[in-house]
Amino acid sequence: MYLNRPVFMRANRKVLCCTLLALLPILAHAESSDADSATLRATQVAHVVHGILSYARWPQQPEVLRLCVIAPTEYADLLWQDHELESRQPVQAKRLLVDSPLLETDCEAVYLGVIEDSQRIALFSRLVGKPILTISETSQACSEGSLFCLSISDEHVGFKVNLDAVARSGIRVHPNVLQLGKRAGPQP
Amino acid sequence: MNRRKPEASQQRPSLRRLLHNAHLRVALLAMGLTSLSLTLVSLLALSTYAGHNLQLIARSLAYTLEAAVVFNDRAAVRDALEQICKTEEIAQVAVFDKDGELLASLDTPNNTVLNSAEQAIARLLLPDVVIQPITYQGKQIGALHISGQGTTLLRFLIGGLLGLLASLALSALGATYGSKRIQRAITQPLRNLSQVAHNISVERTFNQRVPATHIADLNELAEDFNALLDQLESWQHQLERENASLAHQASHDALTGLPNRAFFESRLLGSMREARDSQTQMAVLFLDSNRFKEINDQLGHAAGDAVLIAIAQRLRAQLREGDTVARLGGDEFAVLLKPIHHEDDAVLIADKIIDSMHKPIALPEGGSITTSLSIGIALYPEHADNPEALVHEADVAMYHAKRSQRGRIMAKSQDSLTN
Repeated sequence: MYLNRPVFMRANRKVLCCTLLALLPILAHAESSDADSATLRATQVAHVVHGILSYARWPQQPEVLRLCVIAPTEYADLLWQDHELESRQPVQAKRLLVDSPLLETDCEAVYLGVIEDSQRIALFSRLVGKPILTISETSQACSEGSLFCLSISDEHVGFKVNLDAVARSGIRVHPNVLQLGKRAGPQP
Repeated sequence: MNRRKPEASQQRPSLRRLLHNAHLRVALLAMGLTSLSLTLVSLLALSTYAGHNLQLIARSLAYTLEAAVVFNDRAAVRDALEQICKTEEIAQVAVFDKDGELLASLDTPNNTVLNSAEQAIARLLLPDVVIQPITYQGKQIGALHISGQGTTLLRFLIGGLLGLLASLALSALGATYGSKRIQRAITQPLRNLSQVAHNISVERTFNQRVPATHIADLNELAEDFNALLDQLESWQHQLERENASLAHQASHDALTGLPNRAFFESRLLGSMREARDSQTQMAVLFLDSNRFKEINDQLGHAAGDAVLIAIAQRLRAQLREGDTVARLGGDEFAVLLKPIHHEDDAVLIADKIIDSMHKPIALPEGGSITTSLSIGIALYPEHADNPEALVHEADVAMYHAKRSQRGRIMAKSQDSLTN
C-alpha cells in the first residue's frame, strides 16, 4: 500500500491526487479487510488449536507440548506465537515433512495442512493408535482418522471431532470439548 | 308499661352481637397474625433458597459453558442457555466473553399479567442479577449474567394467601359457632330473667319464677331475683287482701254484713241497664221493720242489732243467687230481684219474706221477739225507668203497706193488684 503510492503520484500528480484521495479509503479498506480477515482467521485458528490442546491430556503428559505442522497450511501462521491459553502448558511449534520419521517420536500434536488424499491416508495409517493429537485444516480429514478437523467459515472457526479416533489414540479430551465437536460434526 | 322500646334495642348492641364480634375479632386477629408471620418467615426462607438456587444454577451453567466460551462457539452457548431455560426458572440470562462482548442471551417471554407479577416478586425477593465469572485455567474468560423468575415464589405466595383466606374463613366459622354456643348459654338465662320480669311488670303475675341455670353467676342472680319475687308476691297478696277488705268495708254494712246503700244503687244501675238491653223485668222491694223503733227503745240497742242481723239472715235465705239485698240504713232494707218473668214472682218472694219473719228472734239477753216487715214492690219497666224513681216507687208502696198494715203493696196500681 505504501509502496504503491509514490508510483501513482509520479505519473500524474495533480490530476490523480484528488481521485486518489477519494479512492484511498476504499482501496485501503478493501485491501486491509482482506488482510484483516486472513489475520483474524489465523488468530481464530490459533485460538481453537491452543484451546483443543489445553483440554487434552496425554498418557504421559510432557512438560512442553510439541506441535508439528505438516504440509502447506493456510491459517497456521500464528501457531508459532505465544498464546494466552499456554499458561499451564507451553506449546512449541515446528514444521516437519509429511514423511519425517520424527513424527511419531517428537510430536504430541500434529497440525495438518492441505495435502493429497493418498498422502493423508498414508499419514493417518502411520499415526493410528498413537497418542498423537491430529488437527486437520480440511474438514473431510475427520472421516479418515484425524482426531479433530477445523471447520472454517466466514465468521466462525469451529471444529469437528472423530470420537473413534480420539478413543483409539489414548488421549483424554475434556467431554465438554467432545460435546462441542460432536455438535459441529453432523453439520455439513 | 312496656320497657322494651324498639329504638333502644336498635341503638344498643345485643349481647349476642357483642360476643360474636369479640370472638370474630380475636379469631381473625390470631389467625391473621399467625398466618402472616408464617408466610413472611417461609417467604424469607424460600427467597434465600431461591437465591442460593440461582447461584447454583449460575455456577453449574458457567461450568457447562466453559468450553463453548473458550472456543467462542455462540451456537453452543445458545444451546446450553436454551437447555437450562427449559428446566429452570430463569427470567434473563446473558453470556459475555472476556472483552464484554455478548455471546448469547435469552429472555423468557414476559407478556402476561402473571409474568409481570412474577417479575415484581422476583425483583422484591430474589437477588437482582447474579454475575458469575466463567473461568478457564484460572483466568476469567467470560461472564454469565443471570436473573431468576418468581414462579415458585408467586405460587407459594398465592397458595399462602389462599391458605390464609381459608383459615380465616374457618376461624370465622368457628368463632361464630363458639359465640353462638356461649350466647345460648348466657343469653338464654338472661332472656328467661327478662321475660319473667316483663311478664310480671305487664301482667302482675307474681307467681312466676326464673328457672335455674348451670352458670353459677347467672344462677345466683336468678335465685336473688326469685327471692325478690317471693317478697313481692307476699306483699302483693297482703295488699290485695287489704284492698279487698277495704273495698268490702266501703260497700257493706258492718253490722249485718249486707251491702250498703251505695253498693245497692250501683248494682241497681247496672242491673237496670242489663234489663233494658235484654228486655227483661226486674223488681225492687223496699222493706221496713214495723216495730224496730219500739224494740230499740224498750229492749236496747243490742236487741235492735240482733233483730237487724236476724232480718238480714232471713232475707238472704229467701233470695235467689242473682238477687241482691242491702241495708239502706236504720231498719230499712232493699232487695233487687232480677230477673223476674212475671210480677207474681216478686209478690211470691215478698210473701215468703213476710212468712219468714213469723219465727221468733232470740235476743242476746235472753228471751225472744217476733217482728214483722212492711214491703213495697216496684217493677221495672212498669213503674219507673230510672233507679231513683224505682226505689222511690217501692218506698211509697212500702209506706202505703205500713199505713194499711197489709204487709206488702205493689206500687201505683196497688189496689187492683193486691188482695
